[in-house]
Amino acid sequence: MQHLSAMQEILATAWWALLGFSFLAYLVLDGADLGAGVISLFIKDPQEKGAIMASMAGTWDANETWLVVAGGVMFGTFPFVYGSAFHFLMVPLALALWGIISRAISLEFYHHAESSKRFWGFMFGFGSLVTPYFAGMAMGAVLLGFPMTSLHPGNAHANLGPFTLPTYSGSPLAFISPFSVWTGFGALIAVALAGGLFIRARFEKHCPVRETALTWANTSFYLALAAVVITVVWSIFLFPWAVHKWLGAYWWAWLLVLLATVFAAIKSRMATAKGHDLAAILWLNLVVTLMWGGMMATMFPWIVPNTWTIFSGASPNVSIITFTMAMIGFFPIMIMYNAYQWWVFRGRVTKLVAYGH
Amino acid sequence: MLLENTLSVLLARFDFAWITSMHILYPPLTFGLAPLLLFSEWRWMKTNEEHWYRLNRFFEKLFIVNFGAGVATGVTMEMSFGILFGPFSQAAGPFFGQILGYETITAFMYEAGFLGLMVFGWGKIGKKMHLFATFNVVLSSLLSAMWILIANSWMQTPRGVKLQDGSFHVTNWYTAIFTPDMVWAVPHMVVAGIVLALFFVAGVSAWFVLKGRHVDLFARPLKYALLAAVLVVPFQIWLGDTLGVVIAHDQPAALASMEGHYHTLNKDGSPNTGWHLLAWPNAEGNGNAWAITIPHVLSMLETHTLNGKVPGMDTIAPKDRPPVVIPFYSFRVMVAIGFFLWFVALWAAWLAFKGRLSISSIAKNKWFLRTLVFSAFLPYLAIWTGWWTREIARQPWIVYGLMRTAQGMSPMTVGQEIFWLAGYVIFELTVWGGTWYFFSKIIRKGPDMDSPVVGEGHEHLGHLEEPSHDESASPRYVRPA
Repeated sequence: MQHLSAMQEILATAWWALLGFSFLAYLVLDGADLGAGVISLFIKDPQEKGAIMASMAGTWDANETWLVVAGGVMFGTFPFVYGSAFHFLMVPLALALWGIISRAISLEFYHHAESSKRFWGFMFGFGSLVTPYFAGMAMGAVLLGFPMTSLHPGNAHANLGPFTLPTYSGSPLAFISPFSVWTGFGALIAVALAGGLFIRARFEKHCPVRETALTWANTSFYLALAAVVITVVWSIFLFPWAVHKWLGAYWWAWLLVLLATVFAAIKSRMATAKGHDLAAILWLNLVVTLMWGGMMATMFPWIVPNTWTIFSGASPNVSIITFTMAMIGFFPIMIMYNAYQWWVFRGRVTKLVAYGH
Repeated sequence: MLLENTLSVLLARFDFAWITSMHILYPPLTFGLAPLLLFSEWRWMKTNEEHWYRLNRFFEKLFIVNFGAGVATGVTMEMSFGILFGPFSQAAGPFFGQILGYETITAFMYEAGFLGLMVFGWGKIGKKMHLFATFNVVLSSLLSAMWILIANSWMQTPRGVKLQDGSFHVTNWYTAIFTPDMVWAVPHMVVAGIVLALFFVAGVSAWFVLKGRHVDLFARPLKYALLAAVLVVPFQIWLGDTLGVVIAHDQPAALASMEGHYHTLNKDGSPNTGWHLLAWPNAEGNGNAWAITIPHVLSMLETHTLNGKVPGMDTIAPKDRPPVVIPFYSFRVMVAIGFFLWFVALWAAWLAFKGRLSISSIAKNKWFLRTLVFSAFLPYLAIWTGWWTREIARQPWIVYGLMRTAQGMSPMTVGQEIFWLAGYVIFELTVWGGTWYFFSKIIRKGPDMDSPVVGEGHEHLGHLEEPSHDESASPRYVRPA
């Protein structure tokens, strides 16, 4: 196995935090877009459906790109994890990617289509449904870990020469487990909640679609609450290492995280009820951030539990130069122009808004 | 026999070849068309002539449909390295993955951010800010092309790494990035995109002129695009030729396969300098069954001397020989298209010189216009065949000379590979069909000549699709100061 210097271990940990940030940005930003897409499946009025797409027109692409950034950070800094975990997840990733493809092209095509409008409207919503389900399933499968081997059974006679890094070579369907089937549903509930709040924040106050969205937000809030409880309880049985950490010396810190999460959830709920749409989203995002951060902290130092740690999965070339370039230079810039973009497209729309070009 | 020819390896290659071929249809038009959009927007701001604005908005519609398809197929690309070629991703990750990571951080996100502003920001941001957004789209899309070609060039002529503990450790970032192939492959790809965009614009414009619609609007981009092509296309041919010399020097096996060049020496011991116009390999794979050969041309092309020795396939160990038929014919198709496009551009220059590209007389050159419409498709084929040449002539290596494709592929069952392929055949064909269908729909609909020209921003945050009877629908988009 490889050896990182002490400095490289610190850098790898910092990159791990950055990886977590990129995934979080994707969850929070595209989660809302995907959720709005799921809700659009149940909206009959083609103008309303189109307006939901238009309401994310200027930002969806950048939101989705956070996933690509996360993938890029993973490939660049944790290539050993990337090369094995993604292969393990071939089937759910392929299905999620087909969802992403459907959603992306339907967004563009819907507004130019006439006779095929219904089809593209459906593909937009269906793609938005498939993506979070299988992404959630992939997440659940990763939490369970996967077995690795240095053998290459597909090419038993291959002269692998020096390329003997451990990788995944088991069944393509090993990702399926009761827990991963469940986490897929969990992800769907979460995006439905985010999508409901997103639609409420994006449409003019008098638009009827905001009422539909409220129903979605209310229902999925309670579903989400139940889902979190179920997932945590299930995790207690599945992941002894997690329980060990939660009840360890820093139990009070975990308790604080829990209380903060509950507080943020209540604030989000209250903001929804009062019609403070942006605040509702931001509080919900805080909930997601706390839970995501809590999950990463629970897993630390594992990236894939019992499979890859930050240090065994990191590139041997992690260097202070590339990290500094990314941190000092590019990440802050990315966040800056993203923020500007959201500012420009912050105005509420009505169902008569056209796709802006 | 050869490990590389097992069904499993062939399918893994085909899985990746398919998604790459279906992705490379879009980004070259994106980074080729973006500078032309910047040009038209800049002309509009400089001259305040409305037709530049109308042209910009019209081609922007095609641009965004193309971009959407590029994003849709591109996200897959990034994940597929890990999915289909996991061991390669692990071994090459320290360099290759880092470069792709930088592409996402410095280019992909950058592009996505400013593209939203460029396409949907009209009227919401000021004119100068909009021009700045367009400029950033140009820069970011070119950066993206650069990073991708850096990564791919390293696979062609790997440098600056050493193999240790099962992965390639970077010993020198500078030499790993600036490989012999990269220096020419990056501009060759970028200029390919520009040639594509020039002929795309010329082809679309020619169609309008042929139909007698908006002739005065489209005569101008048609002429400008083709006059630019008079210079750009030969530049591209020169870049390609220079890249060929690098390949001859650094990837002799690839060159031998592109040229169907089996024997280094003739039977009498003199260098084999013959260049095959057409050929077909024999069943044993150690020579050509038949060939139409011109002496001295191969040496001229690759060594720039009359009798220079070019290493043939017989200098390569049989287990390291690439396939011949596809690289050989792909390469010829690409080159033929390059010269044909130059001929079309020169034809345009001659017509312009004769004054026959003016608004009043341009519509009379029916055959010229039809040729232009046809020529708009050719750069796509040239890019495809060029990429196939590059990727297939590198076989059986995934990292030339260091890692074999069979060593780099994920351990997959044939069923898994077919599942992937079948799914992507359906999805990518839908994307392609949809994109070109909506291209043609947007083109048939023509440019929007009626909407008010946008001003300095702060005007509206959307526009209405149709006049409404519903009073509450009147736009209340007054933006807070």
